[in-house]
Amino acid sequence: MNKDKLKIGIYELTGCAGCALLITDCEMELIDIFNAADIQSFLMVKSDNIDGELDIALVEGSVTTEKEIEELKDIRERAKVVVAFGLCASVGGIQARFGNKEWKENYKKIYGDIEMTHTRAVQSKPIDAYIDVDLYLPGCPVGKEQFLHFFTRVLKGSPPEKYPRPVCVTCKYNENDCLLNKGIPCLGPLTADGCGSICPNYNLPCTGCWGPVEGANPYSEFFLLKEKGFDIEAIKKLMSNYAGTKLAEFFEQFRKESK
Amino acid sequence: MKIVKLKKSNLFLFLEIISKEADLWAPVKKSPDKHIFEVIEDFSKINLDYTRTILPPKKIMLPANFNMFRASSTEYTPDFSHVNKKIIFGIHPCDIHALVTMDKFYSHEYNDPYYQRARDNTLILGHSCWPDEYCLCKSTHTHVVEEGYDLFFTDLEDTYVVWIGSSRGDDLIRLKPELFDEDLTDKDIQKFSKRREERDKAFAKDINFEAMPDLMELKYQSPLWDKLGEACLACGSCSNVCPTCNCYNVEDKPILGKNCSNISRCWDSCTLENYSGVAGGENFREKRSDRLKLFYTHKLQSYISKYGKPACVGCGRCIVTCPVDINVYTVSKSLDGEEVDTFWNRLSKEVTK
Repeated sequence: MNKDKLKIGIYELTGCAGCALLITDCEMELIDIFNAADIQSFLMVKSDNIDGELDIALVEGSVTTEKEIEELKDIRERAKVVVAFGLCASVGGIQARFGNKEWKENYKKIYGDIEMTHTRAVQSKPIDAYIDVDLYLPGCPVGKEQFLHFFTRVLKGSPPEKYPRPVCVTCKYNENDCLLNKGIPCLGPLTADGCGSICPNYNLPCTGCWGPVEGANPYSEFFLLKEKGFDIEAIKKLMSNYAGTKLAEFFEQFRKESK
Repeated sequence: MKIVKLKKSNLFLFLEIISKEADLWAPVKKSPDKHIFEVIEDFSKINLDYTRTILPPKKIMLPANFNMFRASSTEYTPDFSHVNKKIIFGIHPCDIHALVTMDKFYSHEYNDPYYQRARDNTLILGHSCWPDEYCLCKSTHTHVVEEGYDLFFTDLEDTYVVWIGSSRGDDLIRLKPELFDEDLTDKDIQKFSKRREERDKAFAKDINFEAMPDLMELKYQSPLWDKLGEACLACGSCSNVCPTCNCYNVEDKPILGKNCSNISRCWDSCTLENYSGVAGGENFREKRSDRLKLFYTHKLQSYISKYGKPACVGCGRCIVTCPVDINVYTVSKSLDGEEVDTFWNRLSKEVTK
């Protein structure tokens, strides 16, 4: 292996594996990807994986078992830079949308009082609940162009500048009518950009699958939807679907601001 | 100024002749209430019965995303692939004024070659319009055009009265002079004046723009800005749809497997959170209210002192776009002391409940 190449590991925790699959879907660029970096570990595509020291670890999925907590901590120790790769790793994903109480009730409903012997399940959380994360790349799954841009910049030693933008920016570039103005509950203003506004392009409202965008104003959108006649619980459910644990921060801020 | 007449039935023939070596851009209807400017392949797709397109014609000069140049450690290759010969047909007076404002902006201190070259290669064929309830161009004096176009078509039922605004416009007419009639009758002139008179009466909204620079100054600390900031979704749509907003961001896009980068440029908006962020993590306008102040200072105050007219051309796009009713009309009216029925006013009452 080339000594000059950065050592990279790609790891999957709990999720649909769509983000890791996305990398394999970069068919035209696959050779460049494998030429540009020394991919040490990538369970989805190869069997000779080495779990040694890494320059960069891409971690996909949320943390849902005690075993995964250990795995994750081990990755952190071995890697200089850890990247939360995709929505689940960044904010917890759909599986993290329950509050702690609701999670416990659901767990009991499904598993009863059975004691797990292999590994114990824990409430689903994003990886930054357990380790320090250097970079985030949200997406469900991460967009191909978004990944290639990110990957190339990271390889050059200069990760992309943080510039959070909501879906609305690309949605307007694409000259879509604003769905909110038509009374359709679109989460574009609250959601990180990167999907190419694919749903609004087809007249479907954004469901928020890229996760919450920094600098969003959920408070205003909440009241806007309420004014348009939507039920409060329905709005909360809609807004929390993909917001993962970041929803807690959302509503925490929301409570503070509404005082 | 030369004025000629064109029979409406000859319009497509004329467009066909002039667009042989250029892309023809014109408004196209996409849904009952949505028009956009598009490159025309089929003339029957052109729809002139429109008020405003979603994005203004600035997208034709400078696309939302494009590469400026490719750079390596030894080489630099400018990329002007967004520039080609273009004709914009069916553009309304407000949007022509916006292009004139952009012309001044992009050549004021530094000449922007990406804008300049695209503009030099573009012919502007304006078209008359009729205001809807959101048009404000009479207040901004942008409902009539004196400059900035090559030809301007005024719709008089079965004919167009065509104003020739430049020698390039004149050249177009000369490609097929037999289509045009130079004799304007008294009846035509009467019709033209009557149309204009009726059009001017059709405006439903107005703003006292003369008062805005002083009011912006006087009300800079007004609680109004906090109310607006509370409701602003920070979605950036107001800037994207504004025909005079011109801020952009530049990004380094290295190419995988090669030792070079594309340096790309995309539209930016001052209402986005990181717009005023700088190296080291400092952000001068973290608050949404501060960012809105910047936007409206630009629109209602600083352009007037710099270029002699507001940056607003009264197209009404921000009015139809902003989901929370923050737009040049409601902001101006509020600065002028009027109570306006808006989402952001209702939201602020929700807070104090």
